[in-house]
Amino acid sequence: MNPWPFVAAAYVLTAIAGAAIAFASWRSMVVAERAAEELRRR
Amino acid sequence: MKAKHQRLTLGLLAVAAIVGAAVLALSALRDQASFFYSPSDLARDHVSTDKHIRLGGMVVTGSVAKLSDGVTTRFAVTDNVDQITVVYRGILPDLFREGSGVVAEGHLAPGGGFVADNILAKHDERYMPPQVAGAMHKTKSLDK
Amino acid sequence: MPSIHALANPTRFLKIARPATPVCFWSGVALMLFAAWGGLTRTPPDYLQGETVRIMYIHVPAAWLGLGGWAGLATASFVYLVWRHPLAALAARAIAVPGALFTALCLVTGSIWGRPTWGTWWQWDGRLTSMLLLFFVYLAYLALNRADAERGGDGRIPALFGIAGSVLLPIIHYSVVWWNTLHQGQSIGLTGSTIDASMLWPLWYAMAGFTLFFTGIVLMRMRTMLAVQKVEARMRRMARG
Repeated sequence: MNPWPFVAAAYVLTAIAGAAIAFASWRSMVVAERAAEELRRR
Repeated sequence: MKAKHQRLTLGLLAVAAIVGAAVLALSALRDQASFFYSPSDLARDHVSTDKHIRLGGMVVTGSVAKLSDGVTTRFAVTDNVDQITVVYRGILPDLFREGSGVVAEGHLAPGGGFVADNILAKHDERYMPPQVAGAMHKTKSLDK
Repeated sequence: MPSIHALANPTRFLKIARPATPVCFWSGVALMLFAAWGGLTRTPPDYLQGETVRIMYIHVPAAWLGLGGWAGLATASFVYLVWRHPLAALAARAIAVPGALFTALCLVTGSIWGRPTWGTWWQWDGRLTSMLLLFFVYLAYLALNRADAERGGDGRIPALFGIAGSVLLPIIHYSVVWWNTLHQGQSIGLTGSTIDASMLWPLWYAMAGFTLFFTGIVLMRMRTMLAVQKVEARMRRMARG
């Protein structure tokens, strides 16, 4: 059995999942902190 | 301060209770939760021949033989105490090796031995490059 | 405990968390990439498994984060229950989603590893089953948290659940010792490792990188919650005034 498709699938899946959670967490943080900052300035 | 200490005591008690319950549940589960029978389990306990079970152990070195039909393999599985002969018709996994771990799914044959309908390879926790493995084979045998 | 009290002050926490977030995150990413490069190109294949063994460099750190994540969640829950630090409750909630994700990644990469080595995608052995249980426990915690927040609860029930769930951790760890399993035994213990040194080194970088990455994500999520709380508090005040 050729091992490389299995190895590649594991690494690619991890990369996608990591990127997805990083992006989602970062985005919601930026949105929330901006809203808090704007409200403070008002 | 008093309330905090009370909560700490309660919290620690809760943790202790949870751990105690888990230990009790696990000791009750102990024998049921095993993934496979070892050859000595099968020699000791009476297991019905129509019960579908798993058998696990090491493939005895030098015991693997292809039968004359070309698709059936016969080999012996050991746990270093007892030994049982397994007959399997089908394709073996890549990691199936003599001296390596194996899990056979199937049932006991009425006349003794084990008839497998599926074979899984089990490897141990030692990982090493081929050169190192080669050197190790020369110096000492692989069984513990 | 002065250190906990100091950190429990949201302003002080943010003073540290703001610069710490990018440092943790990016150093984590860099270490993960380095470990992947090392694990894919610099290490030898295994004598038995061949190239498939390279899945180890993500499967093992993912498992560590799934388990370590719950250990952190349970500790934070305990601190919240006893000392009532609101930041501890925040930390526990911030860990849940990434913890569940890495538990899922551990299960999926393990399945991908199992097919070419064991010859099966999935078997109900002690290790695999207990790890799947941990994933469901994460999901239950998330559901419980949402229900508690909707009811206007103070988070005590999810915190209790967080502590109770940690019974799974020793079960998962010792599953390969107590029961015979398809999964192999522990490779890395306190006394050493059964992985040859030539294959082991990228694993340390991967563990460190995954952990830093995870910390960065948790910090982001805690900062999000603090900002949302601030907005909600101000809205309430404005509605009243």
